[in-house]
Amino acid sequence: MSRFLLLLCCTLAVGAVPSQSSKSAPPEVVKSVGVFTAPIAIEVFSDFQCPSCKLLYEQTLRPLTDDYVARGKVYLVHRDFPLPQHAHAREAACYACAAGRIGKYEAACDVLFRRQEVWAADGKVADTVCSALSPGEAKQVRALAKDPQIVASVDQDIQLGQVAGVRQTPTMVITYKNQRYPVAGAVNYDLLRRFLDQLLTK
Amino acid sequence: MNTRRWIALILRIALAAVFVYAAWSKLRQPWLLFAMAIDAYGVLPQWAVMTLARALPWFELALGILLLTGFWLRYTAMVASALLAVFFTLMLRSYTKGLQINCACFGLGEAISLKTLLRDGLLVLSSVALTALAFGRVSCSARRT
Repeated sequence: MSRFLLLLCCTLAVGAVPSQSSKSAPPEVVKSVGVFTAPIAIEVFSDFQCPSCKLLYEQTLRPLTDDYVARGKVYLVHRDFPLPQHAHAREAACYACAAGRIGKYEAACDVLFRRQEVWAADGKVADTVCSALSPGEAKQVRALAKDPQIVASVDQDIQLGQVAGVRQTPTMVITYKNQRYPVAGAVNYDLLRRFLDQLLTK
Repeated sequence: MNTRRWIALILRIALAAVFVYAAWSKLRQPWLLFAMAIDAYGVLPQWAVMTLARALPWFELALGILLLTGFWLRYTAMVASALLAVFFTLMLRSYTKGLQINCACFGLGEAISLKTLLRDGLLVLSSVALTALAFGRVSCSARRT
């Protein structure tokens, strides 16, 4: 029920944004993985320039996707929460969302986190994302990244994070049977796995 | 009752309330969430993290009740001071290393910041003061008898 309300809020918020082209998927869809009806929903608020977010992505979210998301136990939603102290985080979020519009969100996330230190230092966010795409896709993403709807979708994620009480990145909000459990930091996968198993056996 | 006794009583009740509240805020949430918060400090192996996550809230509760009742005050105040000093050191270490983690002092959702450090530092000072007053009171009464 709470997930339905959350999705309803997102839909209403997206509705407030100028109308999208019929080919574009709403941000909620392109940045989520798994089955919507999964018993557990996890929203991950992260910043592409934050080292702890990189750690969470590489050491926790990857095995989580294989063990829980792929098996229909968890519905994973990525949310952008670029912190003001990270100069290129917002631009990275826009490029990831733009890649998401053409179904390449995971590829963009992967390359952004893998080469975080490089683009964080030289500021070449667009080149980093485009290196994981074909020339045609790269051209589309470069154009989409400047789309006001993409910028608005990042702002919408930030607002959702503020409403959810997110104060640091990464923060995961785990929802199970109307209960919300916020978990901050690069969570150890083994502990998270135990917690999810405990919830599923309740 | 003299001023020192009044101060000791106020400190004792305040610290007891802090420990009982800290315990309650942890016990009302699944212990594995607290385990994740402890693990984020990156100082303990996983078996120790899990043991501590289960035991610490109960230990804090016991400490709070002992402080409230005033039993074994010297020892209780000493243990409270040592515990708070350990918390403060770990928080300071995480803050200076730039780790963006939860303080986990009173449940979840509070990041380590200057505010949390200041609060914990104040608690350490209060606890040390209570320990000093507890020892002072006993030695004074011992001299009197």
